[in-house]
Amino acid sequence: MNSKNSPAPGRLTHPVDPRTVARWAARYARSRTISFLVQWVLVVFMVAAIGVAAGLTSSAYEQGNFGIFTLSIALMAVVFLAMAWFSLSQWGAELVWTITLWWYGEEGYAEAAGRQPIPGWLTALGGGLVAYHLAGAMLVSFGLLRLQWLQPFSALYMTPYLCALIVRQRLGWWAWLWPALYGIHALALLWGAPLRFPPPWRLLDLIVPVFGYGLLAILAGHLYSRYALYKLKQLTRSVAADLESAEDADQEADSPPSENAP
Amino acid sequence: MKDLDRVIHEPARLRILTLLAGLEAADFMFLLTTTGLTKGNLSSHMDKLEKAGYVSVRKTFVGRVPHTEYTITPEGAAALDRHWRELDEIRNLRPGGEGNASGAS
Repeated sequence: MNSKNSPAPGRLTHPVDPRTVARWAARYARSRTISFLVQWVLVVFMVAAIGVAAGLTSSAYEQGNFGIFTLSIALMAVVFLAMAWFSLSQWGAELVWTITLWWYGEEGYAEAAGRQPIPGWLTALGGGLVAYHLAGAMLVSFGLLRLQWLQPFSALYMTPYLCALIVRQRLGWWAWLWPALYGIHALALLWGAPLRFPPPWRLLDLIVPVFGYGLLAILAGHLYSRYALYKLKQLTRSVAADLESAEDADQEADSPPSENAP
Repeated sequence: MKDLDRVIHEPARLRILTLLAGLEAADFMFLLTTTGLTKGNLSSHMDKLEKAGYVSVRKTFVGRVPHTEYTITPEGAAALDRHWRELDEIRNLRPGGEGNASGAS
């Protein structure tokens, strides 16, 4: 089936500037968020595992239970190493790539222009992010940092780190929601906003903002990518109609008047 | 009247190249679903664009499944830009003056 001979669904009736297609293609590609969803799950897993281990370490320290204390420290070290390996290994990158392609299925693959490879210093900062949270968990464990301040402590590193990542990767507007909301949440906590869970659930003070704002940003991007794809298909299929009328004008300008006479 | 680049001026190829102009790369499946062409048509047009030096092709495997990625070349981007400007000139020749497209942004 040649689309030229078939009715194109949603074809626009007014002329389309072909450059608009390129702009919407870029907007669509910058909003494909499934690969981020996969990576987000891993970040959440890391923070949650470290948080649980920190809670265990803290209670073991208070109770003087050396066995659980050692075990929870070991758990934090294992999570740290696993995440570092996943972030840096070719296997981790291929897994994210394969899941992403599978998820998009028949929609295919489109990569946004202008994305630069992540430089060494940013990768190092990613490793530093893990180390920083590990240090935060240790501070909580030894009673040097109250658990309720772990989110602002986390935001101090995570917000600028995410901003650097977004600028470097030239992500869409949706990506800014994550660091912006995470940073605002931390400031709100410092100013005494009642954004806390009751004592048995204090770990959620950190986990929920990470989960919630990250997911919110990714879902916003995904929804926008649905709209951008719809718009892109509509515009792409309208380009031909506009081009044909331009071609007609071309032929009229080139042809002598007598040739157009019946 | 300038001669338009016939490789690009064909509507399907213009769609493909315009799409690729906004992207770093896209695979065959994406171009297929977005342009609404058949596999045979798309394959034929991609072949012509590749022969003209307007797109480059990278073939890989995802697991055991072949994966073909297309990228617009600098020559393709320049030719497309030139073509857009020529189309603008043609539109301006239409009766009533400005026939410039004011599509959705």
